[in-house]
Amino acid sequence: MIRQDAKVILDIVDLHARVEDQTILNGVNLKVRAGEIHAVMGRNGSGKSTLSKIIAGHPAYDVTSGTIYFQGENLLAMEPEERARVGIFLGFQYPIEIPGVSNLEFLRVSTNARRTQLGLEELDTFEFEDLVNERIKLVQMDPIFLNRSVNEGFSGGEKKRNEILQMALLEPIVAILDETDSGLDIDALRIVSSGVNQLAKPNTATILITHYQRLLNEITPDYVHVMNAGRIIRTGGKKLALELEKSGYEWLDAEPGNQGGLNHG
Amino acid sequence: MDEYLQWLDSLPKASGALKAIQLRGRESLKRLGLPNQAIEEWRLSDIAHLKKIIQYPYVKELNQIFDEENPIKSLVDNKIQIIIDSQDIHKESINLPKGIRHLNQSELEQSLGHSIEKCSFMDNWTVAMNHAATMEVLGLKVEGKNLPLIEIVIPSQRDSFIPTRVIIFVEENAELELTQIIQGSQNSVHSHVIEVHLGQEAKVNHGLLAFGEMNSSLMANIAIEQNARSNYSLTTVQEGWLFSRLEPRVVQIEGQAHTNIKGLQISKGKDQIATHSLVRFDGPEGTLDQLQKAAAADHSHCIFNGSIEVPRIAQKTNANQLSRNLLLSSNARIDTKPELEIVADDVRCAHGATVSQLEEEQIFYLRSRGIEDDQAAALIFKGYCQEILNCLPQNKDKTQIMQKLLRGMRK
Amino acid sequence: MNSENSVGELVSQPYKYGFVTDIETEKIEKGLNEEVVRLISSKKKEPDFLLQFRLKAFNQWKKMKEPIWANLGYPEIDYQDIIYYAAPKKIEKKESLEEVDPKLLETFDKLGIPLSEQKRLSNVAVDAVFDSVSIATTYKEKLAEYGVIFCSIGEAVNDYPELIERYIGSVVPSNDNFFAALNSAVFSDGSFVYIPKGIDCPMELSSYFRINSGDTGQFERTLIIAEEGASVSYLEGCTAPMFDTNTLHAAVVELVALDHASIKYSTVQNWYSGNEHGIGGIYNFVTKRGHCRGKKSKISWSQVETGSAITWKYPSCILQGEDSIGEFYSVALTNNQQKADTGTKMVHVGPRTRSTIVSKGISAGHSSNSYRGLVQIGSKALGARNYSQCDSMLIGDQAEAKTYPYIRSQQPQSNIEHEASTCRISEDQLFYLQSRGIGFEEAVSMMVSGFCRDVFNQLPMEFAAEADKLLALKLEGSVG
Ligand SMILES: Nc1ncnc2c1ncn2[C@@H]1O[C@H](COP(=O)(O)OP(=O)(O)O)[C@@H](O)[C@H]1O
Ligand SMILES: [Mg+2]
Repeated sequence: MIRQDAKVILDIVDLHARVEDQTILNGVNLKVRAGEIHAVMGRNGSGKSTLSKIIAGHPAYDVTSGTIYFQGENLLAMEPEERARVGIFLGFQYPIEIPGVSNLEFLRVSTNARRTQLGLEELDTFEFEDLVNERIKLVQMDPIFLNRSVNEGFSGGEKKRNEILQMALLEPIVAILDETDSGLDIDALRIVSSGVNQLAKPNTATILITHYQRLLNEITPDYVHVMNAGRIIRTGGKKLALELEKSGYEWLDAEPGNQGGLNHG
Repeated sequence: MDEYLQWLDSLPKASGALKAIQLRGRESLKRLGLPNQAIEEWRLSDIAHLKKIIQYPYVKELNQIFDEENPIKSLVDNKIQIIIDSQDIHKESINLPKGIRHLNQSELEQSLGHSIEKCSFMDNWTVAMNHAATMEVLGLKVEGKNLPLIEIVIPSQRDSFIPTRVIIFVEENAELELTQIIQGSQNSVHSHVIEVHLGQEAKVNHGLLAFGEMNSSLMANIAIEQNARSNYSLTTVQEGWLFSRLEPRVVQIEGQAHTNIKGLQISKGKDQIATHSLVRFDGPEGTLDQLQKAAAADHSHCIFNGSIEVPRIAQKTNANQLSRNLLLSSNARIDTKPELEIVADDVRCAHGATVSQLEEEQIFYLRSRGIEDDQAAALIFKGYCQEILNCLPQNKDKTQIMQKLLRGMRK
Repeated sequence: MNSENSVGELVSQPYKYGFVTDIETEKIEKGLNEEVVRLISSKKKEPDFLLQFRLKAFNQWKKMKEPIWANLGYPEIDYQDIIYYAAPKKIEKKESLEEVDPKLLETFDKLGIPLSEQKRLSNVAVDAVFDSVSIATTYKEKLAEYGVIFCSIGEAVNDYPELIERYIGSVVPSNDNFFAALNSAVFSDGSFVYIPKGIDCPMELSSYFRINSGDTGQFERTLIIAEEGASVSYLEGCTAPMFDTNTLHAAVVELVALDHASIKYSTVQNWYSGNEHGIGGIYNFVTKRGHCRGKKSKISWSQVETGSAITWKYPSCILQGEDSIGEFYSVALTNNQQKADTGTKMVHVGPRTRSTIVSKGISAGHSSNSYRGLVQIGSKALGARNYSQCDSMLIGDQAEAKTYPYIRSQQPQSNIEHEASTCRISEDQLFYLQSRGIGFEEAVSMMVSGFCRDVFNQLPMEFAAEADKLLALKLEGSVG
């Protein structure tokens, strides 16, 4: 939902970043207002996951110039856990397995960290179980997965549901979902997207990184951005996604002039 | 060296059911002398600790049973607890359920040292040390199934040397759940030897929890003899010792058995914690699953030496060994040395070893969910330990153990 | 499967390099003492620093004990029953090939290493070493145009004494181990390579070692120096006649790589391995070590070890320069009564140093094949990484495979990963290939070379095919 008078909650300004000796982001600009849903598309390797991990604060990437403001504050100055507590959430493209660490305990500790930030009481184990049991319905995940280790031995789809469950518990302000739809069958996709839709509020925003129109049929984006070689080179409405689905990304090679193309402001 | 011989002479006169092994042990000790670092198995060991043993008085009866500060009293309810707190084990006083009884004199004489011999442990220095000094043995025979857990608690006393000796004979088809808890206290030195014989199709789930305290040392040998189709699982945890050397050896005398070994060793401060394991297949179609984890913090040193021997007769053996190590400080040290000796062609053997720090990606994942750096590391470290603790017998509440493991590990 | 029998009946391919060249040689008396060391040095008209180097090594050696930890189980070697110097008589001067004894040229012809102007290999410069004495080096002039020095150690001692004095013993100290000390005292000849700054050596360099006498110990020494930004690929091949006594071969190879330099050292070792009863064959005790002294330098060892009755060899890398790289790719095949104990040491000293170890051991017959490795990460090696993989394949139920990978780490910001497996050629796989019309022997050699593929890929082109053939030959008759 676009409301021009809504507050800008995430503002990425001319972001350059690299890993080791390799430059990956080449000046990304993106403004996200409350209530909006943005889709980011683009070829593999164009830098989408890198952008999302930098927003979340992954230590492997060096931001060489540019800034990210979150609700007016300099996000880059915050530790990853602070970012999560103030309301940044990244649904990982490849959620990592952590053997031996109980999923339930993990969810509880992280939920309480966010609640403390929001000035809410921490939940004890019983209260938390009630909360989880309520939220888990949203993603229709078998509670059995709560007693396993974090993501360990989960199938691709189960990992993605676990990510959305975390989102439901943390109630972020900006949720970035990196290819959450990849590898999901149609039913799972519906479940995940209805979860995302239910969690969207007028004061929150969502960034969807995806390759597929089918997710955008379920969650309607306000803006569609195309990323290439570490920058956003085109921005449009949901029609752009349809176009991309039809014609692919080959036009990128044919139209070098498009580099640095328009970006909504 | 003089001191060493003097100490040997100071031991009580060899007598009783153990006379033969006492004499043998003393003879071996004389012949072997104190180990030195030129001997491969002792190359990495801090030999100075061994010398401490001979400085301590020989203890006949312990007067301090539990370390008050860190008692691990009991892990489960439904169990038989045997506390070896003296050199006179009051056999009568232990209430054993049906299906389990004490070995009688002639059984003891017959079986004592049998598995030790099978495991080529007779000339092992730490076994000889135990045999030379031990005055009493706890001998059990297990004949039934579905028995309550047997929990053998071995407490300690400050500034003392404590030798303890156990033998368990598990009959064909019998099943046993066994937990041993060894507790060190300040300046104590433990020497422990246990041999377990598994009859055909017998099943043993064996846990050994060894928690040291300030300046304590442990030398423990585990000798396991497995008959065909038996199933033996061992889970060991070593922590808190200034010097700990655990040597589990398993021989599948006819192959066709299953062995499962899980180990966790955690060192900090200036600890040196070592595991030297050996598994030998003296028959075909045996299997082994081994996972050894070690974590070294501060100025400490963890050692793992894991031998697997697959002689010609052991066709169709399937053995897996994995050594996973965490190096948590730049002053700590990890040595890991798998040794595979294979002389049979139709076998599958795989082993692997890794040394690393806590995984950065995992830490980041937790941090991206709002969990503090240190807490994320602690959680992952806990998870690392949990995998081993889960294998302990009667898997109930392990928080107590976990707390012990985590003490002192946080930054 | 009836293949078991059919294969059992196949006889091992005879060792085709087992002939002896009848040539007059100058030998000194058997035995080793200080006089012998002085004699060797004076025969070679060496400068004093080298004589002192030898004498020091000899004195160290006298105090050392032969290592026994490798459990190779060979009979005691009587070091006084060995001749420490032998040289073909007509070798003194060899300004041109015409002056080289034609019998020697013929020998190398027969070994497939023609040296004469017309026949020599087109893109490989060869240093031919006969009984530890270099008899000819091809393409010297062409290499000289690039400033590359490629000659025998003996020549280098006279022509470039300052380089020798500076580098000899700098990677493998004379007291490094028993056999290195022995070599340092009595080494005869070997190859010397010097690649000047910034030069990418224009051709492959190769030394071919031929042992001819039965009672003479063989002690060559190789020294390769790659200056800043230089690179070279060096190959080493070796064969020996069949004698029913054992010949001692104790060589030392030292490599030095400065900043951004790279040295690739490949070996195909095919010394005579003794007969099927374990009679005769070479005792091969070799110390090979490379020192990555400069930053971003790289040393890569590849070896195909198929010969020798006994092999004791651990080509190693000291990774001192930051970001330097060490590699070890090895195929060791043992058959009959052969014993091989080989592996590598990767010593990470500098930050961000990386090493890769790939070892493939194949044991057949009654042989024994051990991998022994050390990966050591020192406390300053921040960000160091190692990956090791060592696989064994057993052929027949009388062969032994042993693996001793030893890891030591003192640096938490480092990663070490080791994987190992043991397998055999599965009957199902064999059957599958056979059911597609592939002959049994061929199927076996296909699987063996598949097993070794990762290593063969590292060998220079000419060698890879050679190595493949060599393995197939060696294995013939051993399967079943
Ligand atoms: N940690 C990393 N180390 C090295 N290269 C990386 C790393 N992360 C990303 N890259 C490289 O950056 C580029 C962009 O990757 P990524 O952001 O994952 O793209 P996308 O998500 O759009 O497919 C790729 O070339 C990728 O290989
Ligand atoms: Mg991506």
